[in-house]
Order: sequence, then C-alpha cells, then structure tokens
Amino acid sequence: MINFADFILVLILLSVLLSLGSTRLMALVKIMALQGVMVSVTPLFLNSHEIPDGGAALFYLVMIFIKGALIPVLLYWAVKRVSIKREIEPIVGYHASIVTGLAVLLGSVFIVNSLHLSLPEGRSFALITANSTLAAGFFLMMARRKAITQVIGYLMLENGIYLIGTALTKRSHTIYIVEFGVLLDLLVGVMIMGIILNNINTAFDDIDTTLLGQLKD
Amino acid sequence: MEIFSLSVVVLFVGGLLPLVIFRFFRLMKAVYTTITVVGCLLGLYGAVTIFSGAAAGPYSLHWLHFFQLRFFLDSLSAFFLVPIFGVCPLAVLYSFHYMDDSNSKIETGVHFFFTNVLIIAMALVVAADTIASFVLAWELMSVSSFMLVIHDYQNKTSRRAGYIYLLFTQTGAAFIFAAMGLAYGYSASFDLVALAQLPEQIKPVVFMLALVGFGSKAGMFPLHIWLPHAHPAAPSNISAIMSGVMIKMGIYGIVRFYALLGTTGTVLGQTILLAGMVSGVLGVVYALGKHDLKKLLAYHSVENIGIILIGLGIGMVGVSSGNMKMAVFGFVGGLLHVLNHAVFKSLLFLGAGAVLKKTGVNHIDQLGGLLKRMPITGRTFMVGSVAISGLPPFNGFVSEFLIYYGAFQGLGAAGGLFILSMLAILSLAVTGGLAAACFTKVVGLVFLGEPRTGQAASAVETRCCATVPMAVLAGACVVIGIFPEPFVQVAFMGLKGLVPVSTAAAADLVAATANLALAGRLFAGLFLCCVVLRKIFYLGKKIRTGPTWGCGFTQPAARMQYTGTSYAMSVVKFFSFFVHIRTRYSGIKRIFPDRPCYETRVDDIAETVLADRIVTPMLYFLGKLRWIQHGHIQLYIGYIIVTIIVLLPFI
Repeated sequence: MINFADFILVLILLSVLLSLGSTRLMALVKIMALQGVMVSVTPLFLNSHEIPDGGAALFYLVMIFIKGALIPVLLYWAVKRVSIKREIEPIVGYHASIVTGLAVLLGSVFIVNSLHLSLPEGRSFALITANSTLAAGFFLMMARRKAITQVIGYLMLENGIYLIGTALTKRSHTIYIVEFGVLLDLLVGVMIMGIILNNINTAFDDIDTTLLGQLKD
Repeated sequence: MEIFSLSVVVLFVGGLLPLVIFRFFRLMKAVYTTITVVGCLLGLYGAVTIFSGAAAGPYSLHWLHFFQLRFFLDSLSAFFLVPIFGVCPLAVLYSFHYMDDSNSKIETGVHFFFTNVLIIAMALVVAADTIASFVLAWELMSVSSFMLVIHDYQNKTSRRAGYIYLLFTQTGAAFIFAAMGLAYGYSASFDLVALAQLPEQIKPVVFMLALVGFGSKAGMFPLHIWLPHAHPAAPSNISAIMSGVMIKMGIYGIVRFYALLGTTGTVLGQTILLAGMVSGVLGVVYALGKHDLKKLLAYHSVENIGIILIGLGIGMVGVSSGNMKMAVFGFVGGLLHVLNHAVFKSLLFLGAGAVLKKTGVNHIDQLGGLLKRMPITGRTFMVGSVAISGLPPFNGFVSEFLIYYGAFQGLGAAGGLFILSMLAILSLAVTGGLAAACFTKVVGLVFLGEPRTGQAASAVETRCCATVPMAVLAGACVVIGIFPEPFVQVAFMGLKGLVPVSTAAAADLVAATANLALAGRLFAGLFLCCVVLRKIFYLGKKIRTGPTWGCGFTQPAARMQYTGTSYAMSVVKFFSFFVHIRTRYSGIKRIFPDRPCYETRVDDIAETVLADRIVTPMLYFLGKLRWIQHGHIQLYIGYIIVTIIVLLPFI
C-alpha cells in the first residue's frame, strides 16, 4: 500500500527545493499553488482513519481555496502588473540556494531526531518537512531582492507553521479557528504587499527591495 | 439589566446605520440622531430603575472558552450611567447641525459610528464585572475615542494630537493591565470581586498601578498632557463627550478599585488628596495662561478632576481615620461633582464649539461682543461659567460645598489629618477663586465688549439643534443647584454599597443638603428680586445706549479693550515657579514706534519636563542606534531569526 501521507510530504519537500532553484516568477507562483494545496490536505492523510465531518470538510475546502487559488491568483496579478518575469541578481545564487535547502533539510532531520519527541507513526517526517519548509521560507525572504519573492517566502513560512501545528497536535476542526486567524493575517499580508509592490514599482520603476533603503531617514 | 442591554443594542444599530446610508446625508443625520437619542434615553431609564431598587441580574457570556465576559449593574455603575446616558444624547443632538460638511459624507458616517461605539464602550466599562470584560471595554473606549480625535485627519495638528492621545491612553491602559495582571497572579480569578482577597501588602501596589492608568485617563496632573492637545483637535461635540463623560471613567476606575480592594490604608487617601490638590491648583493656573478657548476649557477639566479627587481623597482619609462624617461628605461631594462637571463642562464645550463654528476663531483675543450676536449661546455659556466657578445658585456650588464641609470635619483632628484637611480647604479655595477669575476673563473677552475682528462681528446664532442641548444643560445646572436633594441622594446611593456608612452621617447629609437647598433658593430669589427691582426703578426713565467701552472717547476702538494676556498675567506671574512664561517683546525704540508686538506663552511644566528630561535624552540615545535601521529588508528578517534563536533557550 502506498503511504499517501509520505507521498505528499515528499512532494512538499520537492516543491520547496524547486522554489529555491527557480528563476521564473511565474513558475514560482505555480509551485506555491501546488504547495498550498498539498499542505492543506496533509492533515487529511495524517489522520486518515478519521472521517472528517461537515465542519472539517468545509474548513479543508476553504483552506484549499485560499491557499491553492486565491493567494496564487493575487500573486499572479501582481506579477502581471509589474511585468517582471524573473529574478535577476539574487543575493544568494540558485545553486547555492539549493545546496542551502538540502542543508536545511539535513539540519531539520537532525533537530527532530535530537528532540526525542514521542510522536505517532508518520508524524516525525511531517515535522521534518515542516521545519525545512519554515526555514526555507525564511531563507527565501533573505536571499532574494524582489518583493514578490519575499511574499512567496512568507507564504512558505506560513505553510511551515501550519504543518508544524498539524504534526504536533491531534485536533478537531473547532480548534482550527487559530489557523483561520493566521490565514486571514496571511491574506491581508499578501494584499498589503501587493499595494506596496505597486508603490515601489511606480516610485522606483523596479520592485527591488534594496531600493527601499533610500527611504530610511 | 434587560433595558440596559436593549439600549446598548439600539445604540449599536444606530451607529451601524450611518455606515450604510451615508450617501443620503440629511437622512443619515436625522436617523442616527433619533435612534441614538432613543437608545440613550432607554439607558437612562434603565439606570433610574436601578436606583428605585430593581435587581440587576448579571449578564454573562463565555468567550474563547477561557474568558468570561460578565456585566453587572450596581448603584455605583448606575450613578456613572447617568452622565453617560444623560450628556451623550445632547452632544449627539448638537452634532446634527455641527457636523454639516456635506463634502465629507463618509467621514461623518464613520464619525457617528465611533461616537456610538464610544458611548457603548463607556456604558460597558461601568457595567463590567470581570477583568476580561473591563479590559475589553476599556480598550474599546480608548480606540474609538482616538478615532474620534483624528476626525480631521488631513490636518497635521489633529494627527499629532491624536498620536499624543493614543500614546497616553495606551500607556495608561498598560498600567491598568499590569494592575489586573498582578491581581490575577495572586487571586487566580478573573472576577473583579476577587480583588478583595489579595494579600494586604499587595493591595496598595495594585491600587497605585491602577491609579497611574486611571489618572492618565482622567487627566490627573502630571498625566494630563494629552487633554489640552486632544480636546481642541476633536470636534466640539466629541470634546464635550470626552471632557464631560469619558475622563470620568478614570474617576470611576479609582472609586471602583478603592471599593473592591476594601483596604483602609492611609496612604491611598493621602495620595489621591495630594494629586487632587496639585491638579486643581495647577490646572486652573495653566487655564488662566491659555488663550485658545478649547485648550483653556481642557485645562479646566484638569482642575475639576482635581476637585473631584480632593473630594474622594477626603472621603478615603475619613474612612481610614474612622471619621464617618468626613468620609460621607467627601465621597458624596466628589461623586456629585462628577455629575455636575459632566453637565457644565459639556455645556461649555458645546458653547465653545458654537463660537468656533460661527466665527472660525479659537483665540479669545480675536473674539468679543458675541453676547449680542449669539444670545442663547452667550447666556448658557455664562450659566456654565458661574456653575464651574462654584458659585450659588448653580450646581457647582452644591458639590464643592459638600467637599468643603467634609474637609472642615477633619479640622477637629490632630496631626496629619489636620494639616491635610487644611491644605485641602486652602487649595479648594485657591482653585475656586482662580476659576472665577479665569471665567471672568473668558466671558469678558469672548462675549462682552466689542468684537475685535471681522469674524467675530459677523457671527450669528446657531441653529436650534445646537441651542436646545445647551439650554437643557444650562437648565440642569440650575435645577441641580436649586433642588439638590434628589441628586445628593443618588450620589449617596451610589456610595452606599461600597463604603460602610453610619446612619448619623446619613442624617447629617440630609440636613446639610436641606440647608444648602434653602440657601440656593434664597440666593436665586434674591437675585430675581434684584432684577425685578432694577426693572421697576428704571420704569419710566429714559435709557440711552452707547457703544460698549465708549467711555466718552471720541474715537473708541476695539483694541482699547483688555486682552487675555493683560487680564490674567498678574495672577499667572504669582505662580511663576510652576509656570514657565515665555515673552516676546519687540520693544519701543523710536519716538513714533511703527509696529511693536508683545506676546507671551505659558508652558506646561509637565510637558516641558517630559520633553526636556525624558524625550530629548531618549532621542539622543536612540539616535546613536540609528545604524540598526539600514533599510535592507533581508537583514531585518535576519534580525527576526537571530532574536528567535536567542530567545529559544529561555522557553
């Protein structure tokens, strides 16, 4: 029997590595959409013996919609609008980024193993994935210049946080209210970034965030 | 309690509607005003039923499984509900014609929404029965009032005033939260009543922390700095609500915490008393030095908060020294002054708003002669001025007299109590005298004499929606002054559940009030007699009128009149130790001087100390750390990671 949970987690890890190595912004947005869907369905497979009831099903649907469709569409619009196709001159190069991603993966395996948590079957792999997604999100934010890539890094960070929550707790949908709050934050964050993006673009004719350094007083 | 909940719901609906129908400007204003006035009157009725003995069952709901939000009305809450639901509808009615800028429809709608949120939040603050509900209502009140202060947000001064206000209100709230947190740490209960079970040595600490927070809301010296900035920046109806009602929530907090803690240590009463004396005297001195009408009124709020605190302080000192008569008179006087100040201060702010609206001038040296042009505004403002100066037969006299009477009870004692009572009497006397001086200045400059500028000369009376509230408030000043018995009893009932009172002291209170009422009526009668006699004596005589300040000059000019500076300077100079006076004088150098100028400014000592001793060194120090802010987002994110990693081992 194929372990669907492991399959999905591997997909998430691959998407993380792929996003670290991709130069095209459009491709990055698509990867994020895939990763969002994967992350939202992970709890379903981790708790596969439980049949979700109505409320939980609704929650997963909304989650998939926001992470897989709404936010990517917003990002897609942003990329279209500023008509920037690719990230040029990243602070850390693409190959180096992928190597860092692998190092992050190793590091999170080490951390999770040395924590000696008594997790149920399959959860420790979820925790490893979560940690590496989170760290890679941070890395993406720090290693790229364009504002859109930073939003994507932020999204990845949130995916990681969500996965950590999934891996560590056994939950019913009533407590997902906290995740919803985070999701709302994220949505607002993406919208604000969109506005800022637009303003940076009109002010500097570019969306390079290093230009923002001129604004400090 | 049902009526109270109903009125809150009505007010909320009334606040939401303007957000929906702001396009139909006049309709929105009419609907909003009607619903809000109805909601407030419902609430007022609910408060009155509490006094007549109706039981107010607690109303509770659970929130996030953890915090219990519970609301409960007792007689003290009901007493504070009276100014909330009594003054706010008048200010709202006033706003019908005051907020008439049809170019900013949506802003006006938002303004109305937050006005109602503020009213609801204040009502919930006095009804709160658990820590969570109190804190929630308190924050709601702070934030909604901040939104109201920055109504004129395009104006830079307004924004600055708003930020100063936000800074003070949130710092104060932080102190209140600290007090609550400390209390929770010891009692492990979210109930406010659990404060009584705290260890005896913790109680003063909790009280002092809360006092800083409540004092900054109330405008206690030296935490009053936001008042003279926020009140002029806000629209006048909001100044009336904020100064008349909202700052009283600080007083409510002090009284409520004192009652809940149930501690009889002498230090609390002495602190409150001292704070009251300082606020009272300095507030009125700064008011004398200010020439901006609304700023001046804001300093008078500081002064009146001082008077209220003196009353409460005398009450607390009386309780701790076992002098029941002193306690009852001090507390009742202080509480009644809360109601009285709500009435006359909102009246004065509404009057100032009418003047500002019709002339566009806020500086009293540019006004003048408005009594002839705005008769109703002028007369009601005069009533408010006499009342705030604590003169009979108006309401300010009643409450200040009760506080005096309480203070005189302490004169028979020996030692510290004698000195404190003496100081309280002296500072009350100084405050009252200076307040009278200050309001002769205001009324004399703004309403009497000849108009000093064209704007003042072309002013006309405001519309009925603005004059009716002022007339009602002026009427309330007279009614409380001449028939004080029911109001004193209401204040007494507010007190009864909190402080143990003896029947002898209660009987004394009734007797004193009766005498006071008689004196007030006699005075009013005497005054009316004089007026009638004057009419009779002048009957049939030829009366000739000339220009004001004519005085036989051939070419009288408006500039011959006293200015605010010249009128007040002799008094202000007496207090020059506390008041920093900056003078700019060009001097007269030639035989025919062309344009000499003389200008003085009075600086608030609390503000200058805050700016010079705290803010400037801090800015210097923080300026050295500017390199941290280099403008690279990537490294900022790095800061976050480093912080998290550093903090991880502490978990």
